[in-house]
Amino acid sequence: MESISEQIVESFGIMLLGMSLVFVFLTVLILGVKLVAWKFAPLPVAPTKPVNSGVSVQSQGIDPKMVAVITAAIEQYRAKA
Amino acid sequence: MEGLIAFWSESGIANFTGGQLLMMGVGALLLYLAIVKKFEPLLLLPIGFGAILANIPNGGFTDEGGLLYFAYHVGIETGIFPLLIFMGVGAMTDFGALIANPKMLLLGAAAQFGIFATLIGAVALNFVPGFDFSMKDAGAIAIIGGADGPTAIFLASKLAPDLLGAIAVAAYSYMALVPLIQPPIMRLFTTEAERKIKMEQLREVSKKEKIIFPLMVLGLTILFLPAATPLVGMFCLGNLMRESGVVDRLSNTAQNELINIVTIFLGLAVGSKLSADKFLQIETLGILLLGAVAFAIGTATGVLMAKLMCKLSGGKINPLIGAAGVSAVPMAARVVNKVGLESNQHNFLLMHAMGPNVAGVLGSAVAAGVLIAVLG
Repeated sequence: MESISEQIVESFGIMLLGMSLVFVFLTVLILGVKLVAWKFAPLPVAPTKPVNSGVSVQSQGIDPKMVAVITAAIEQYRAKA
Repeated sequence: MEGLIAFWSESGIANFTGGQLLMMGVGALLLYLAIVKKFEPLLLLPIGFGAILANIPNGGFTDEGGLLYFAYHVGIETGIFPLLIFMGVGAMTDFGALIANPKMLLLGAAAQFGIFATLIGAVALNFVPGFDFSMKDAGAIAIIGGADGPTAIFLASKLAPDLLGAIAVAAYSYMALVPLIQPPIMRLFTTEAERKIKMEQLREVSKKEKIIFPLMVLGLTILFLPAATPLVGMFCLGNLMRESGVVDRLSNTAQNELINIVTIFLGLAVGSKLSADKFLQIETLGILLLGAVAFAIGTATGVLMAKLMCKLSGGKINPLIGAAGVSAVPMAARVVNKVGLESNQHNFLLMHAMGPNVAGVLGSAVAAGVLIAVLG
């Protein structure tokens, strides 16, 4: 039966080993996650700008292309008139 | 008349021992905590009931051939129940918050200091007469600081099956007491200004990242710490089933029916270890005490690490979230959110705390792997 102080020294060793292993493991994981993120992270979605500053495109349900087409049509109509 | 005497000698009243009555009282207390106080009812209810069943004189539940005997023998001695639970927890865990901000893994690592500090504490307790913890016992007790029930049960069944009842009860009671134990420690180590810090919104995470994550964790475990692969492997399997999106049926089963069935038997089997001769010992008191210390130290080191990261990042990290580094998902994260709201009514830290919270699960699984590798 080893003495208590020997056991304490041993547990100190386990503490150092354990904490450094936990840190090394999770640090490597951080690097891994960053690597994957660099490759596969979704591109930040560019906010859709209003096509024509004069036209309000607040309603989100409308496709920006559609808005552009309608805006162009209105402009043509106004140019004729 | 003879029949009456025979009946009497078989009755519970004639055969009760003081210890059994006391342990039934403990079982009733656990039922009370579960039903009235709503402390971890999913586990404390079956554990409490198991404790009552296990202490019935002449009931034979825990004798060879009895229900609780088999539940323990098949599920816990082999380590299968905690592993199945871990698979379910994996299927329930969303690593999105962690993947968006991987630095949070450091908090999950720092909070594991409670485990290793308690290892020394458990050994040092041998100086007190009446205590005789071996290194294996100390390791099994220390894991209470990981605040992760299945991990604690798994490790205790491997290192110190005799102490399993006390360790499981301590682990689950302290997890239930997270809202009481953590806030004072969190306030002690942070200033009001730090608690008010708002954190940036987390970025979106793609499906590919979420699918690769469990595979990467598994790969690292295989390379560095094969002793932790039972825990981490099952956890990653559950998580991959969830994130892959192709086996929703399996994922649903793992996080609902399967984990529920296993929880019933796990609780009963743990309760069966609360028999008078095993539980009513001075060592149990020591385990309960060490568990609380482990928990408190883990919380403190998590918060201190977060404080350091706050300083290094120029005040972008709220130190409170470090407290969530002790697993106890999702209770610890909710506590962080609550304490944060007390300082700033518009500061919702829940999503930010989920990162260190799930990192804590990985951290304690890794710590358990280290203890098994070194002591097992």
